[in-house]
Amino acid sequence: MLLRGAPEGQVTGVSRALSSASVLCQVEPVGRWFEAFVKRRNIHVSASFQELEDEKELSEESGDEELQLEEFPMLKTLDPKDWKNQDHYSVLGLGHIRYKASQKQIKAAHKAMVLKHHPDKRKAAGEQIGEGDNDYFTCITKAYEILSDPLKRRAFNSIDPTFDNTVPSKSEAKENFFEVFSPVFERNARWSNKKNVPKLGDTNSSFEEVDAFYSFWYNFDSWREFSYLDEEEKEKAECRDERRWIEKQNRAARALRKKEEMNRIRTLVDTAYSCDPRIKKFKEEEKAKKEAEKKAKAEAKRKEQEERDRQRQAELEAARLAKEKEEEEIRQQALLVKKEKDIQKKAIKKERQKLRTTCKNWNYFSDSEAECVKMMEEVEKLCDRLELASLQCLNEALTSTTREEGKAAVEKQIDEVNEQIRREREEAEARMRQATKSSEKPTSGGVGGSKNWSEDDLQLLIKAVNLFPAGTNSRWEVIANYMNLHSTTGIKRTAKDVINKAKSLQKLDPHQKDDINKKAFDKFKKEHGVVPQADSATPSERFEATFTDLSPWTTEEQKLLEQALKTYPVNTPERWEKIAASVPGRSKKDCMKRYKELVEMVKAKKAAQEQVVNAAKTKK
Amino acid sequence: MAAIGVHLGSSCACAAAYKDGRADVVANDAGDRVTPAVVAFSENEEVVGLAAKQNRVRNLSNTVVKVKQILGRSSGDPQAEKYIAESKCSVIEKNGKLNYEIDGKLVSPEDVAKLIFSKMKETAQSALGSDVNDTVITVPFDFGDKQKNALGEAATAAGLNVLRLIHEPSAALLAYGIGQDSPSGKSNVLVYKLGGTSLSITVIEVNSGLYRVISTNTDDSIGGICFTEALAQHLASEFQRSYKYDVRENSRAMMKLMNSAEVAKHSLSTLGSANCFVDSLYDGLDFDCNVSRARFELICSALFNKCLEAIKKLLKQVGLTADDINKVVLCGGSSRIPKLQQLIKELFPSVELLNSIPPDEVIPIGAAMEAGILLGRENTFLDDEILPIECSAKDILVKAMDQSGADKFVVVFPSGTPLPARRQHTLQAPGSNSSVCLELYESLEKIPIKEDNRFAQIVLQDLDIKEGGLHDILTVLTMKRDGSLHVSCTDQDTGKCEAITVEVAS
Repeated sequence: MLLRGAPEGQVTGVSRALSSASVLCQVEPVGRWFEAFVKRRNIHVSASFQELEDEKELSEESGDEELQLEEFPMLKTLDPKDWKNQDHYSVLGLGHIRYKASQKQIKAAHKAMVLKHHPDKRKAAGEQIGEGDNDYFTCITKAYEILSDPLKRRAFNSIDPTFDNTVPSKSEAKENFFEVFSPVFERNARWSNKKNVPKLGDTNSSFEEVDAFYSFWYNFDSWREFSYLDEEEKEKAECRDERRWIEKQNRAARALRKKEEMNRIRTLVDTAYSCDPRIKKFKEEEKAKKEAEKKAKAEAKRKEQEERDRQRQAELEAARLAKEKEEEEIRQQALLVKKEKDIQKKAIKKERQKLRTTCKNWNYFSDSEAECVKMMEEVEKLCDRLELASLQCLNEALTSTTREEGKAAVEKQIDEVNEQIRREREEAEARMRQATKSSEKPTSGGVGGSKNWSEDDLQLLIKAVNLFPAGTNSRWEVIANYMNLHSTTGIKRTAKDVINKAKSLQKLDPHQKDDINKKAFDKFKKEHGVVPQADSATPSERFEATFTDLSPWTTEEQKLLEQALKTYPVNTPERWEKIAASVPGRSKKDCMKRYKELVEMVKAKKAAQEQVVNAAKTKK
Repeated sequence: MAAIGVHLGSSCACAAAYKDGRADVVANDAGDRVTPAVVAFSENEEVVGLAAKQNRVRNLSNTVVKVKQILGRSSGDPQAEKYIAESKCSVIEKNGKLNYEIDGKLVSPEDVAKLIFSKMKETAQSALGSDVNDTVITVPFDFGDKQKNALGEAATAAGLNVLRLIHEPSAALLAYGIGQDSPSGKSNVLVYKLGGTSLSITVIEVNSGLYRVISTNTDDSIGGICFTEALAQHLASEFQRSYKYDVRENSRAMMKLMNSAEVAKHSLSTLGSANCFVDSLYDGLDFDCNVSRARFELICSALFNKCLEAIKKLLKQVGLTADDINKVVLCGGSSRIPKLQQLIKELFPSVELLNSIPPDEVIPIGAAMEAGILLGRENTFLDDEILPIECSAKDILVKAMDQSGADKFVVVFPSGTPLPARRQHTLQAPGSNSSVCLELYESLEKIPIKEDNRFAQIVLQDLDIKEGGLHDILTVLTMKRDGSLHVSCTDQDTGKCEAITVEVAS
């Protein structure tokens, strides 16, 4: 591959700009070149690129060279003793670029200065030279010393005497905010540790930009430090303690200054923020937006509410309509039914009339008065009972036939009706009987075949059941045994029979129980032949009443009673009163009665159990 | 200082350690360099690796395989649904996350991955004899953020310090050191990864030592298991032919056949024929069969075709031809198959086929190399895994003439070069000329250059005439991040220099 020679008249030049900018690509994060690339990017410049930039700057600088090398009358006025307060940049002739000067430029400037102002050179030129450090050349050396050391240079940059520390006041900013603040922020941006300080922007900046700007400045990270202003020099200290003390002093002073600086920045940002017309605008917009949202929400809510109301209204309306319709229908139907009934009634009336007239016409099929009357009765009955259809049928038959046949038909009809009436009556009777029977059934049904339960036995059973309450050992056997012992009928009853009977008795309604009791009482009366006197009947009745009243001794009461019996032994004075007092709701009499019952029950139980045991023994 | 690279595949996991400037795969306690990514759960222990895989026949419902396919996926995912349908372990959803249900206990896929990572870590530690934590883990290119996170969390849970997650194809490139020695120049590399369950093909552009994925395609329907299955089907038909029993319906017998077929498949990659022997395959009958490599290749010819079609399809998709590919990297265990290598070689006749590193070890080795690069670096973890980088949009060319005197264009600054970049060329001109003209053109790739593509020229006048000699013109092109170009030309003999700066049209 060989390049061609240049045609005549061709010169170096750019004919047009490149058509496309760089494109963004995604690369895989692997490999050492990638790492190198990222590292380069993070320090923002590559080594090779720095060179290129420097070259450019140098070429720019060369134009100023002449100016720089001119005589600086100011140099002569410098006091070597007071080097600390001199402006190192202008000493080196870099006053026009200051902190932007590159290391290379500083070096070059120093070289130039040395060439021009070295004491030897000036001596040769016949100039007056100060003794030792008293010559202004010392200032140049010091300036270079400060500016060539990055740390010291930074310290000097931090307190650059030409830097304008002022913060514009609010009143200044009111009129032309951007003109006032833009240069201030740009000026202060040089202290930022981070690169790419966001610009203030203009009226049309977006909310994000403004937000980013203020959040950057509120979190401003400054490298500005004030070690250059240290009152005492650490190096001057004579011993460690002194050095420490100086250090402490310096640190405190620096911190104070730094704080002041931060306050300054803060004030600046605060002022800017409060004056920024964009912020005001955004706030208003935000407010308007919120208001609109609120409004929209309220509107939506209202609409929803309305919608719901309307819906409910519609539903109610629909329900009402439906109900009305239904009612209407029902009414219609009722009307219809009524009409029909009326028609039928009319028809039936007519038919009845017809029947009556026909019968009358035919003189009720008989000649005798009595028969006539009877027939009349029968016909009336017919009229009452017969349906419309059969009446019609009958009438037709009557109208179309002769008297005899008509009579036969009517009689047949009468017979039928009579038969029906009779049947109905029978049925009713049967039903009645059934009812009485079913109510009696449990009494007699439970007896089971051959084993009849007489009144005595029943009474005995009830007594036995009460005597041996639930929980008694082999209760039903004991009861059966008791029954067998005491029964007068002499029928042997097994435990099973007893259970059945007891159950059926339980099922009985209290009415029947009362019946049994009454019967027993009647029987008692009959047997003893004593009619209770009227005056004695009253207490007995009362007794009966109290008995029925107190018959359900609840378990709780029972417990209380037992407890009372134990607490008040037999020899306690007025024992029963006390017992009654401790059983609420029971009188002294009740308690005594219950006690007696219990005693009897226990005795009977013991006897019966003994008998069972004895029987078992004999069986064995 | 040592670091490891771990590759967790669907079927196998492999770890490589970087030590003293070298990356090498470490063998596990059984002596295998690749560990099956199978985890078996029993009452009181979890078994990872070959033992779990071999016992899978007996412990089907408590053995987890292919955990990578479900890692970091949620129930709605079609891939996850497919996996659940195929899985022999029951997978249930709880709190929106998928979990294995093993013996009534819930085991998350992350836990399974964690066990595998622990195993790999253990392996590396016993091989290195020291504690190792720093790890680079590879992920497939199609992994989403959730899956990456799940994988990273699993590795962290296993006690590894994840330096970075890198993509599998880039790891493969790194293993061969492509573009790492000389960072200039541009080439296209095709990474062919045929793993256990999937085939993924990626075309990567290497420029200035940086890798840029041009296109990638993953096919889940083909993988090493397909070859094994084809072979197992063949074995089943052989068995039917000799004993008249069809074992295809018997899942246990088929699993035994699969195991045997897999062993046979592996040995067929190196040997001409392999013997398959299964004790008591069905009804107490033993099965013994010889399979030759030719037979195997015949059985799998359809699969091979499918594997190659995928390459052709991808190349067509990105508009490249086989000639545009400079290198082919094979990875994944199944690219060991000799026939497949041969077919790929036929597809790219003029291309270097890189298979010197065993294909199933390429990716972990690359990962280990990356781990070595990252080792000892501060803040290795990038905020955003893939950061965009400015690249030049167009080729910058210089017009020259060839021997016959016809115009010819030489690319001096290829497109896709990460910026800022500097390229240096020594161009030559006939010594008989006293002047040299350097005409600069810009153009998109593969588009014929027209005269109006020219954007600048540099003319060097009054050169010393050297009859019969050549002028050496040192040309330095520097492009900044915004795409503006600075070109300087220096004649080496006279030191005459011309420079231009071309800005981007705004």
